[in-house]
Amino acid sequence: MAPPRALPSDTARAALLVTGAALLAGRSRRALRRRVAASTLWPLPTLDEPVSGRPRSRTLRLRVARHERIAEGVVRLRLEGPDLPAWEPGAHLDLVLPSGLVRQYSLCGDPADTSSYTVAIRRIGADAGGRGGSREVHDVLRPGHEVEVRGPRNRFPLTAGAPAYVFVAGGIGITPILPMVRAVEARGGTWRLLYCGRDRASMPFLDELEELGAERVAVVAGDEAGRPDVAGFLSGAAGESTAVYVCGPEGLMDAVAEALPGACTLHLERFAPRAASGGGHAFEVELRRSGRTVAVGPDTTVLAAVRAALPGTAYSCEQGFCGTCQQRVLEGEIEHRDDLLTDAERGGTMLMCVSRARGERIVLDL
Amino acid sequence: MSHKQARFPRPVASEHIPLKARDVSFSWADTPLHWLPGDPFTTHTINVLHLLLPAGERWFVHVYKQALPLVRDERLRADVIGFIGQEAMHSQAHDAVLPHLREQGLDPTPYTAQVDWLFEKLLGDRTLPPGRARRWWLLERVALIAAIEHYTAFLGDWVLNAQELDRRGADPTMLDLLRWHGAEEVEHRSVAFDLFLHLDGGYPRRVRTWATAFTALVFLWQRGTRFFLEHDPTLTGTARRATFGDFRRSGRAGTLPTTGAMLRSIPRYLSPSYHPSREGSTAQAVAYLASSPAATAAEARANGAV
Repeated sequence: MAPPRALPSDTARAALLVTGAALLAGRSRRALRRRVAASTLWPLPTLDEPVSGRPRSRTLRLRVARHERIAEGVVRLRLEGPDLPAWEPGAHLDLVLPSGLVRQYSLCGDPADTSSYTVAIRRIGADAGGRGGSREVHDVLRPGHEVEVRGPRNRFPLTAGAPAYVFVAGGIGITPILPMVRAVEARGGTWRLLYCGRDRASMPFLDELEELGAERVAVVAGDEAGRPDVAGFLSGAAGESTAVYVCGPEGLMDAVAEALPGACTLHLERFAPRAASGGGHAFEVELRRSGRTVAVGPDTTVLAAVRAALPGTAYSCEQGFCGTCQQRVLEGEIEHRDDLLTDAERGGTMLMCVSRARGERIVLDL
Repeated sequence: MSHKQARFPRPVASEHIPLKARDVSFSWADTPLHWLPGDPFTTHTINVLHLLLPAGERWFVHVYKQALPLVRDERLRADVIGFIGQEAMHSQAHDAVLPHLREQGLDPTPYTAQVDWLFEKLLGDRTLPPGRARRWWLLERVALIAAIEHYTAFLGDWVLNAQELDRRGADPTMLDLLRWHGAEEVEHRSVAFDLFLHLDGGYPRRVRTWATAFTALVFLWQRGTRFFLEHDPTLTGTARRATFGDFRRSGRAGTLPTTGAMLRSIPRYLSPSYHPSREGSTAQAVAYLASSPAATAAEARANGAV
């Protein structure tokens, strides 16, 4: 560290600053009391659009109103509270369990309901790689308990205006898909759903999906039909510019990605833990103002690549919550993996530490 | 020669610790308006933090992002990066209290809109020409932050030791917010001063920015306390008036810092040999963070994400 040194003091400027401070503070106590007594703050300019007091998300404490088994190994929770924030199909909640574990679950209820949130959770045993969250929901959580939630956030938004929609759900991956199907059906859109699972008894929401349109839903239960013919389904269902939404195990998502007809757009929701930093495909990041392009490998982050080129780039938590590395995106679609930005902020910015490009290239204002 | 060296700020190496932001969250649903039961004056004096910090700490981050490229010392750079994340989380955490106050009939917006102006405009980037003037303004703000951090560390150390708040039944969530924040302020108390030393360190600048920061803090704080008491829907008559006597009484009771302790902290910052590592205890801060409900939940969250 460099030793401290006294720069020649800038007397004039200092005087100006001190005078300014004195002006702020120097008004008489009596005048202050009079003005405050008049129940208004005495004049200081205000920011036209205040920033403080509008937190991006609030932690809410909700009551477990219902805790019901809706399929083998699947529990549906109804969480009640007043004036809940609105959400769109595809959104998820952070659920803070009584033990302190935090897990993310897709909302599968009615977005218009502002008095409750509904999630459905499959129990995943330790032998299947479960980390304890779902077991706590199944075994410990009961009606009347309180849980904290954060969000909702939407990393898997349903785009409007596609000529047709194809949904592929694997097991509990049906949860974000269900409100999407309802929304597309409600606006009279064209849709098809491939819903795969181990066996019918373990697949939730079968009745409701039948009602939404039995002829549009293909249910493939592993014990009856074996592995789903993803390629066959897609070739029949997906036409020009169809939007394809997939939520399920990695294998299913890979199968869809492989069989995807060229003119379709693919939207994936992983069962991944939040803010998984690595993992993904390689892409390029153009830094427009610096006139440079850097490569991001599958196991590295945008932030790491940008820092290699611009070492002064600010960041901090590297886990997608502090917001320091938020950056304006000029071109390219982003796969947001943070839990901080609002859906509006996601329109034009990203957190470089965790989020990635959807395509081959993005352009940043750096 | 030895005399001269003694007048340089000398850090205590053992107080240094790597810094990381913690992904905390607090639920305010069960926190009453007067979270220190029966003591609206103390409640609202401490509540002023929620008015000043969302904008103030956001401004710290804004300034430090500009200062970061100027740092030529790797360890200090790591400290500044940790500091930025912690301050960003402080800002977010205090910001989330404000809607809760509003829902209880105490709308903070008239005050916070002014604080927003103060930090976003008055202390913002201005349209100074590049070069000397812009650098001068950056250094001035870095020094201001160092002076403010002297007080945040002072308050952090105070709240970690303010047992009287526990004895009087303060709301546990609010106490955890204050102590998590206070502990992180103690943890990173040297960063702002080290950055100031690294980029400039001039004594005249230290003194004048201290004078500005101190005056502004006193001004904003008493104004905030008065604002809250005046607009608190549950208070009437003289309970709505804040006096200096109230402040001294709370100090003696142990629910606020004492006037004496605050006065004594002034010459310490102005001493040429001042270094923040000589005040407060990193060990105490780390011990609190290891037991804080919010910080341990953040830890569980971070580990769960692996």
